[in-house]
Amino acid sequence: MSQPSFDSIEPGDELAPVTIELDPAFVREHALALDMNADRFTDEEGAKKEGLPGQITPGNMSLALLSRVLLRWLPGAQLQRIGTTFRGLARAGVPAKIQAMVTEKDGETRLVECDVWMENEGGDRLVIGTATLRFPS
Amino acid sequence: MAFEDIDRGVIGQVYDRYTYHEIEKDELVRYARTLGVDDPIYLDEEAAKAGPYGELVAFPTYVVKLRGGQWMPPEVTRHMTREGFDAGKDIELGVPIRLGDRLTATSTITEIYEKTGRSGSMWFVVFRQEIRNQNDDLVANVDSRLMQRGAS
Repeated sequence: MSQPSFDSIEPGDELAPVTIELDPAFVREHALALDMNADRFTDEEGAKKEGLPGQITPGNMSLALLSRVLLRWLPGAQLQRIGTTFRGLARAGVPAKIQAMVTEKDGETRLVECDVWMENEGGDRLVIGTATLRFPS
Repeated sequence: MAFEDIDRGVIGQVYDRYTYHEIEKDELVRYARTLGVDDPIYLDEEAAKAGPYGELVAFPTYVVKLRGGQWMPPEVTRHMTREGFDAGKDIELGVPIRLGDRLTATSTITEIYEKTGRSGSMWFVVFRQEIRNQNDDLVANVDSRLMQRGAS
């Protein structure tokens, strides 16, 4: 993954898709760290008993994964704001892709606005969001 | 029972104020590690001394773990069916969370509104947690949107 600096990034710059495996054990461990121990987040069969197609990723985890990818893409930047809409189920065991694009850059405040989203292999956007990051002077 | 039946008088009222136990290293590291974070400022107390905060801090989205004494108010839960779900979050971040912080979250309902889409009516309830540290510095405003389909 390339690591742009504040000076090098421009609106329209895109992050190449980052694949997140969403391994069931990974989802389960983070759900438990979030104290979200409902079966839907921790157990495939338990999730099916709740009427879901299988174990799913908590929205709070998807949001955090978007943040993780942004901060790794823009090293040194600090997350100031992130807003997300959870549109679809992010299934555990089904890889997802996270992508982002710079939409605005302010040279005075050193703020950068980004669109960021998670989609499944079929291209359905499961989580969409925007974020503001600040680069220190 | 549906979100549209919620008494609008609850908007703006504080329904929960909760002070958490002192922030400990293990919980911050566990949160970051299980998320796959590899930046040492969130994982390694010694390495974090060389980072921008001079000490280990919480990964920014750790604030979503702080759900207060009562995450959702009874005015919402008694109208919520199994079809209700978390529709999204908006987080405005302030100062970082540091080891030893004592955080207090104050929760209010901020909006109740309806949207109509292809599949019919959807009702949203937005509630805000304002999280401050022991110095009264703003740590985060976390706005959560719960969605429930309206009567068809």
